[in-house]
Amino acid sequence: MRDEPFNRQRSTVTDIDQLTRLDQRLIHALERAPEPQVPVDFAARVARLLPATRPIAVTATHYGYYAMVVSMVLLLAALLLLAPHAADRSVFGLTLQWLLCAQFIGLVVWLSSRRRAGLST
Amino acid sequence: MDIDLTFEQLVRDHQDMVFRTLLRLTGSREHVDDLAQDVFLRLYRALPSFRGEALITTYLYRITVNVAQDEWKRRRRDDRPLVSLSDEGSSWEDRLQHPSRNAEQQIEEHEFQQTVEEQLQLLSQIERSVLVLYHQEERTYEQISVALGLPIGTVRTHLHRGRKKLREALQQRQTNERRALCETNRSTASARL
Repeated sequence: MRDEPFNRQRSTVTDIDQLTRLDQRLIHALERAPEPQVPVDFAARVARLLPATRPIAVTATHYGYYAMVVSMVLLLAALLLLAPHAADRSVFGLTLQWLLCAQFIGLVVWLSSRRRAGLST
Repeated sequence: MDIDLTFEQLVRDHQDMVFRTLLRLTGSREHVDDLAQDVFLRLYRALPSFRGEALITTYLYRITVNVAQDEWKRRRRDDRPLVSLSDEGSSWEDRLQHPSRNAEQQIEEHEFQQTVEEQLQLLSQIERSVLVLYHQEERTYEQISVALGLPIGTVRTHLHRGRKKLREALQQRQTNERRALCETNRSTASARL
């Protein structure tokens, strides 16, 4: 009778152990991928089934590049618009202009470095 | 810069992944060739609306899951019994067995794998797809979410629910087997007496 709590505790530990082991085996079984038997000429067979006229090309898009160019144009326009007001030499105006100028230079440097990297590859 | 890939090369690069996923999702080697062919033909038709190279695997997973689901619907319509992966000709489990293990362990492991495969086929299509993509194909929650068009939270829920169902089914089976073994032992002992 005195052993009862100890036994109960031991059986709980064993249950947890069994559950953990079952979990590990389950995960292992799920991770084990079947080995497919792909026919040797499968790719050629699929290619033969395609309509002959359609050109197939996977094209990389340049949305980011175009967005950068548009941003540069907008920044340049903002700089030109602010330039006449810089004469009054207010702190706000000058700060804004320097900020825009720095952004513009940053974009130019980034774009030119990307372009050079693209040409070199 | 335009990247031109011939479709044949694209098929060659991804055919193993498509066959593997289809095998696990449909639970049968029957018609896998035709289904894989269907996957690539659907991909070909969808290529004009495809944006960027990085998503091609995700795109393929989505098509593969759709094709497997169509196959399941077709089977249900035809009311055809499922053929287990391991029942057929050369089972892939046999080839994966470790040479140093003893025969009993190998048989036990084989049976366990077979049970998992069977129970996997009893799950819902979505739970099975999530489990296969996560465990077998090692996709992230985000990738599965994009491939199946589900929110990440739903993917997580299906994954946990699927694993729980499998665990419970396996536990139930183990309990039944133990009980059956006890009864056999008891009847043998009483027969001896």
